[in-house]
Amino acid sequence: MTISRRDVIKIGMAAGAALSIPSVLRAQTTAAGARTVRMVKAADLRVFDPVVETSNVTIDHSLAIYDMLFSLDAKLTPQPQMVEKWGISEDKKTYTFELRDGLSWHDGTPVTAADCVASIRRWVQVPGGQLLMERAKDISRKDDKTFTIALKEPLGLLINLLATNSGQPLFMMREKDASRPATEQVTANIGSGPFRFNEALAKPGSSFTYDRSEKYVPRKEPSDGLAGGKIVKVDRVIWDNIGDTQTAFAALQAGEIDYVEQPPVDFYSTIENDSNLALQVLDKTGWVLCMRMNCLQKPFDNVKARQAMLHLIDQEAFLRVAVPDPRYGQTVTSLFGNGTPYSNDENTGWFKKGGDPEKAKQLLKESGYSGEKVVILQPTTIAWINDAAQLLAATLRKVGVNAELAPSDWGGLAARRANKGTVENGGWSIFITSDSGYGLTDPFGEVFLSANGDKGWYGWPKNDEYEALRAKWADVETLDERKALAREMQKIWWDFVGDVYLGQTLRPIARRKTLSGMIEMPGGFIPMWDMEKA
Amino acid sequence: MVSYILRRLLSTIAVMTMVGIFVFLLLRLAPGDPADIIAGDRATPEMVAGIREQLGLNEPMPVQFVHWALSIVSGDFGTSIFTGYPVLQLISQRLEPTISLSILTLSLSVTVGISFGILAAWRTGGFIDRVLTAFAALGFSVPVFVIGYFLIYFLAISMHWLPVQGYEPIDHGFGPWFVHLILPTLALSFPYVAYFARIVRTSMLEVLSEDYMRTAAAKGASSYSMLFHHALKNAGVPILTVIGMSVAYLISGVVITETVFNIPGVGRLVVDAINNRDYPIIQGVLILVSGLYVLINLAVDLAYTLIDPRIRY
Repeated sequence: MTISRRDVIKIGMAAGAALSIPSVLRAQTTAAGARTVRMVKAADLRVFDPVVETSNVTIDHSLAIYDMLFSLDAKLTPQPQMVEKWGISEDKKTYTFELRDGLSWHDGTPVTAADCVASIRRWVQVPGGQLLMERAKDISRKDDKTFTIALKEPLGLLINLLATNSGQPLFMMREKDASRPATEQVTANIGSGPFRFNEALAKPGSSFTYDRSEKYVPRKEPSDGLAGGKIVKVDRVIWDNIGDTQTAFAALQAGEIDYVEQPPVDFYSTIENDSNLALQVLDKTGWVLCMRMNCLQKPFDNVKARQAMLHLIDQEAFLRVAVPDPRYGQTVTSLFGNGTPYSNDENTGWFKKGGDPEKAKQLLKESGYSGEKVVILQPTTIAWINDAAQLLAATLRKVGVNAELAPSDWGGLAARRANKGTVENGGWSIFITSDSGYGLTDPFGEVFLSANGDKGWYGWPKNDEYEALRAKWADVETLDERKALAREMQKIWWDFVGDVYLGQTLRPIARRKTLSGMIEMPGGFIPMWDMEKA
Repeated sequence: MVSYILRRLLSTIAVMTMVGIFVFLLLRLAPGDPADIIAGDRATPEMVAGIREQLGLNEPMPVQFVHWALSIVSGDFGTSIFTGYPVLQLISQRLEPTISLSILTLSLSVTVGISFGILAAWRTGGFIDRVLTAFAALGFSVPVFVIGYFLIYFLAISMHWLPVQGYEPIDHGFGPWFVHLILPTLALSFPYVAYFARIVRTSMLEVLSEDYMRTAAAKGASSYSMLFHHALKNAGVPILTVIGMSVAYLISGVVITETVFNIPGVGRLVVDAINNRDYPIIQGVLILVSGLYVLINLAVDLAYTLIDPRIRY
């Protein structure tokens, strides 16, 4: 076979074209520019209204587009944010707040005291504002920039309540939005925060876009936690909802996205070995894994049976299921979690490495347990809880408990856990969930820390002595006093066993190293100001 | 013919009504409550009860059904319980990616699948037939997500030739649109190529064994003429049926492919809605898809007359 000159030219041209294809395609798939950050959140944003929904993703959305009267700094101390000046009357019953200059809604209208009053009045209808609802005599506007909160009796916790991000934080909304009932969603997404929600590019279930608000005037103080000047250093942030974690990780590796909020634990080592990627723990208080028992029904209506669970659990075994990398999991004995201002060691003698099955058996016997069925709700759509539920069932069976798993998706679990009846009537005995360590710093707002029986959260533990102490929390003014109160509360909690902890985990985010300036803050909230992209 | 088409169109309404009733009942009777999911994990029972009341979920089921049915008749598919966006807007946002992926997948699958099928039938029992039969078995056996991850690893992560995920609307330019659809199309086409190849091979072999094919060969017809003029046309009806069903399946959502490649299509919309118990979206999508199924079947039935003149309505 002979090769002509023409053949050589043809082959050369074909080879050239083939080799150029990758660069052409690559050019078309280049990641977003340096002024646009693409993030994959831990959960899809489904509900926009922070008064209706309590999830972290809704709070992150709200941190972006709304502003708060006060914000917490990195030490969890409240600092003025929208408020310029505030004062308190001598009898400590009237607070006066004056808004700072330059505040405006994203529709161009100015933020007024009337907006703030309407926002507070809506917020007090939900559990996060319940305490203020009970104590407030009047919340009213004085002039366009000033409003007051008059109380029936002093409330030492008031500024903390206005600043907290736990449970249902208080974000300021326009008066016409905040005039809606607290159970009816606000979907206008017009706030006065550092980012504007880009309605035109909103694709629910797929992506949401946030643009830097040109009109936002940051405070002069340096950024500190969620407080201080909120300076936005990028033009646009896009939240991509990538349902498949493998795909999200591949997109991060390829540089198509900049950030993955909750990378799967089995990817940690791959991320650490990739010179372009970094793991970073933004929330040092992490998440407390928790087992809620139905205190209204057998066998856990008996305190001895609940104490048996406390002694039985081998936290390290559950941590291996939830987060196999020991750097990101730790045992926890304090009701207030590890690393929070109120963590303490009061009444923690029950903890034993590996658990104490013999003690658990003895306590179960004392409780009069006679083989009643224990139904563990098993959400198969959430991997770690699904696995932990199976481990729990096996652990219970080893001490003679008649444990049965009830698999469903999370929606099925959420519906069933509201049933207070017996397991024969569709009720339940145990479900596993988690709560942020930061949330545990707020016994008043945090539903997990209530023990007011069937008025409280799922599991409905009841202890009047504990509740009396919890009620004092609102009136205690200094940190030291709160720490002392926390010890007393913990002492009682671990006696009546309102719930059982399975361990505490840290959840690092994964990011490309070109993304920096992420704010480290307890609570797992991800504010988007300060963030920079090289 | 016209009366046949009208009858079929009327049957679409009946099918959509039955689907509507069935889906409505199924959703209400299934465990799970959108109010629980809206309120979030830390919500109190009182909050959940308040949201249920607000959403009208405490009304008797027949009342809820009548409200919904009347809205549908007036063209209002409602709004998402969660985001408050109109259902039709959400569906229309998702249609373009799904239709784009479907068109590309079908084009590739039909072209390659029919070619493979004809080739295998032509060389039945030979090396090519065995290779193509093995390929068809492989195409059926390997799950799409495995092929998807395989393609992502080699073509996107290792070679950096193509994007890992995402979708670009065609109005952002043909290039980005096409580039983002190459990997999902390849992954999704794999089983369809195998499927079409097997169906075409079987149909062709059946036709090729007919007496008239032997007659054509005896008269000296060329292989091309025998395969494409005589055999393929006569084997066309079952092939068309299979392609028609595949179109309907693709349009109704290819959840796994959409999930692996993060394509915001109809399949993901409905799966997310099911997980969230977002009743209006689930009902809206299923009603529209059921109507689409009926229309596609009608189109396929009408297309039979084009390839087989013996068929009359």
